[in-house]
Amino acid sequence: MPSAEKILELLDVAEAAREPGAATVARFEIRYSRFLDPKGNALRQLPDFAADRAELVALYRAMVLARAFDAKAVALQRTGRLGTFPSALGQEAVAVGIAAAMRKEDVFLPSFREHGAQLWRGVSLVELFLFWGGDERGSNFAEAREDFPICVPVGTHAPHAVGVALAFKLRREKRVAVCAFGDGATSKGDVAEALNIAGVWRLPLVFVINNNRWAISVPINEQTAAETLAQKAIAAGIEGEQVDGNDVIAVREAVARAVAKARAGGGPHLIEALTYRLSDHTTADDARRYRSDSEVSPHWAEDPITRLRNHLVGRGMWAKADEEGLLAEISAAVDKSAETYLAIPPQGAETIFDFTYESLPKDLAEQRRAALGAVPE
Amino acid sequence: MSTFVLPDLGEGLQEAELVAWHVAEGDHVVADQPLVSVETEKAVVEVPSPQSGRVARLCAKPGERVKVGAALVEFDDGQRADTGTVVGELAAATPSPARAAEPAPAGAAAVRAAPAVRALAQRLGVDLKIVGASGPGGAVTSADVERAARALTDAGPAEPLAGVRRAMAVNMTRSHAEIVPATVSDEADIEAWRSGSDTTIRLVRAVVAGCTAVPGLNAWYDGRNMERRLIKQIDLGLAVDTGDGLFVPVLRNVGSRDAADLRRGIEAMKRDVRARTVPVAELRGQTITLSNFGMFGGRFAALVIVPPQVAILGAGRIAPGAVVADGKLVAHRLLPLSLTFDHRAVTGGEAARFLKAAIEELERPE
Amino acid sequence: MSEITLVQAVNLALQRAMAEDANVLVLGEDVAAEGGVFRATDGLLKRFGPERVLDTPLAENAIAGLSVGLAAQGFRPVAEIQFTGFIYPAIDQLVNHASRLRTRTRGRLTCPMVVRSPSGGGIRAIEHHSESPEAMFAHIPGLRVVIPSSPARAYGLLLAAIRDPDPVVFLEPTRLYRAAREEVEDDGAALPLDRCFVPREGTDITLVTWGAMIKETLAAAETLAAEGVSAEVIDVATLKPLDTDSLLESVAKTGRCVIVHEAPLTGGFGAEIAARIAERGLVSLLAPIERVGGWDTVMPLPRLEQSYLPNEARILAAVRRVLAYQ
Repeated sequence: MPSAEKILELLDVAEAAREPGAATVARFEIRYSRFLDPKGNALRQLPDFAADRAELVALYRAMVLARAFDAKAVALQRTGRLGTFPSALGQEAVAVGIAAAMRKEDVFLPSFREHGAQLWRGVSLVELFLFWGGDERGSNFAEAREDFPICVPVGTHAPHAVGVALAFKLRREKRVAVCAFGDGATSKGDVAEALNIAGVWRLPLVFVINNNRWAISVPINEQTAAETLAQKAIAAGIEGEQVDGNDVIAVREAVARAVAKARAGGGPHLIEALTYRLSDHTTADDARRYRSDSEVSPHWAEDPITRLRNHLVGRGMWAKADEEGLLAEISAAVDKSAETYLAIPPQGAETIFDFTYESLPKDLAEQRRAALGAVPE
Repeated sequence: MSTFVLPDLGEGLQEAELVAWHVAEGDHVVADQPLVSVETEKAVVEVPSPQSGRVARLCAKPGERVKVGAALVEFDDGQRADTGTVVGELAAATPSPARAAEPAPAGAAAVRAAPAVRALAQRLGVDLKIVGASGPGGAVTSADVERAARALTDAGPAEPLAGVRRAMAVNMTRSHAEIVPATVSDEADIEAWRSGSDTTIRLVRAVVAGCTAVPGLNAWYDGRNMERRLIKQIDLGLAVDTGDGLFVPVLRNVGSRDAADLRRGIEAMKRDVRARTVPVAELRGQTITLSNFGMFGGRFAALVIVPPQVAILGAGRIAPGAVVADGKLVAHRLLPLSLTFDHRAVTGGEAARFLKAAIEELERPE
Repeated sequence: MSEITLVQAVNLALQRAMAEDANVLVLGEDVAAEGGVFRATDGLLKRFGPERVLDTPLAENAIAGLSVGLAAQGFRPVAEIQFTGFIYPAIDQLVNHASRLRTRTRGRLTCPMVVRSPSGGGIRAIEHHSESPEAMFAHIPGLRVVIPSSPARAYGLLLAAIRDPDPVVFLEPTRLYRAAREEVEDDGAALPLDRCFVPREGTDITLVTWGAMIKETLAAAETLAAEGVSAEVIDVATLKPLDTDSLLESVAKTGRCVIVHEAPLTGGFGAEIAARIAERGLVSLLAPIERVGGWDTVMPLPRLEQSYLPNEARILAAVRRVLAYQ
């Protein structure tokens, strides 16, 4: 059986014979991959790391933590103790898979629905609560010091990722920038521009599309006519692929492959992770205005956490005591962090001014004085 | 409200320990969404939601043992309120406050002057209101202020009005604000007067004659209530000019007094005025006024009526004038008369008839 | 030390900055081999190589955005936007990110970048090549907006901008690129940011301006001098943060102020200056503050350009109106 490439080659030859002066000059294909089916059964040979229980448990734990944080955040918002919060319910595998595939020295540029990745990379629960609770100190990460804070104007961080990756390349550092954004972001010029520049400059940059099928109330089929979002990379001369975003093993494997390629100088890569937004767009949104509960329900069957748990249990790697212990530990950690967050008093009003520039210009100093009603030092 | 009970978990298990809730009260859940993890003998199992709806109440706590069939979750089917946003919070409208009262109409146009000019005026002690403005758009410039300051120093210090002068200013202002003056004038031919005639007395008698002919000029008018009061007794105000200012003492009941009595009264009045011993009461109550300004000069004048009076008769300088008598041009002594009346209360015809009567009286030999 | 033009002064400053700090990068469209469409980056590629001088694809938004990423990583990118008519897509990155990065991360990430662009009309260019958008940038908290008016100031202020730890929008008056010449010493000395300059002292009226309008304003001051009116000319240079003290000092002395800018009048930066003088210098004023600006219309095509640009006659007319308040 000739290879696919050979068949295409033969087709080109035949075409050229039939129609001199016309030829197919470009084709593309987008590959999709997953390792676990929704019930957690392995569909094919798993990647090496999946042989190691510790690796899988770490992934499982991170997703459970992400979900517990998420639920706590929503609960705090509902009781008036956190601001508007974008839940990532059901999308834990995308975030955790990305972060697990990165190295510490790499830089992550999230959108606003990758809490699991931020937590894996060392952003603390308290910092996340602080930020979503409306305090800038939440973006002053104690660890992951070079990671970017979340980005609200959709897709506008994609060019930042280009700059970060360029910095690595100019300095000959073996570091990779990873930029995550949603399906809606792929309609933005910023993203197209960033893909293009990353491609032509062959930057160490991995783009991950967290495709949860919804941009607030606009479903993916109304967002673009493209059959896949991954193929938008092709237009920039970059390889693109799709993975099952609810299979954390598949996400990690694909991102790790892309990151390794980038680190080795192989240029940028785009991964479209297919998942589903089980929650409202934010805590202020009511998705029932535009989608029915009956549309959502079936997607619970794709739950990434259940899937991996079933897989672990099926391989004898996870027992009841493990589950109970983990839930208790995570619950305690999240509760404790929430308490810590709630006990932190707000910053003084002077901080509105003090970080606007490196040193305060005179006219701003006067405003600061007026705002504080006192003469500063 | 519907209650979801712990379902049969299979394998003959009668109860389970609740490990962890996955939802909170108030959450909206969809069917198949995991509600809770419970521990059975063999495993920790997730229990999915049987329906979509809002979680009203969680019926057990982590660590509790729940029997199969016991209440787990209460759902309510209430609708969640529309927040009207996907980010942040929108405050609802508060009842609108009562409409603010209409602002008071703006005062008269203030002086137009730049701040530095105002500061200069203040420093130089110049009242901007009296400064003539030569700047664009009627603005007072600093040159204007400086000019005014110089003029003021040349002019001598400002003296506030006091006493009689002040009273005159007050009264004239009041008159101007209320009265609607009109003046009719004429001349009396007094060629026939005997020598030694007392001009003042003759004028007083002329006023009496006028009032007798037209009582409406011996009256008080209340402009606010639009009421006119005819007065029987003629209490004549006599304008007396002194070094201190204008006085108008009252000669009472001139209509009933003979010439000698009037003369005595006038002399006494003049003495008292000069000596400043006129009682205040005698400066009030004039029903009509006479001003013999001709003693000083001037022929005709539109004089000022002090309310509530309605008329003032002014007598100008007696001088020879050309008249036509028996078809011939001759020089006779003429006495100019100006009758100013308040046209709110007195008609032109009444005024003219008053004057005619006064002149007829004056033109008698004695 | 020889006389150089304003664009040559820009080039000189870039050379100096790149030589003294290996983190300084120049990027933009056509900045490398072409040396920039106005030759501002001429010779930089040859001297510093393609890893310091980068031609970007045609994407102004991304140019500004990737500069943010570079700056957060410790580089000092100097991004060229070819014409201010094309700078508008970059405003998103400047407003939403460059100007905020320091404060929203509480100083963890900072943004020492410069966006430089030729600005203003009077060069008989086609549409969209004669913009004066400085007021839009001046409205953004956390940005610096700097406009040089001479070769020496271009040199000194650009060096200061590149060395500044915060983002700077550096708008170069296209009209003066070749028209302004003076001696500039390549001594690496920066001029102070956040400070007005006083190219001409006077006592009767304060003329406030920036950029290319300095030419017409100084000419007007000369004309006035011949008539016995002593005009003080202030070159604002850094629009934001504004050196209010220097402006107030001058108005306290003269009592009169006319502000001149090429940008459209309404919402132009002259309004901010007038407001500040009115707020804090009102009692010094002998006359209303006047502004001479571009009309509130789109810049016309070249044939009508001279009817749009404020000129000496319009400046003098405003001055005379103000002097009428003697």
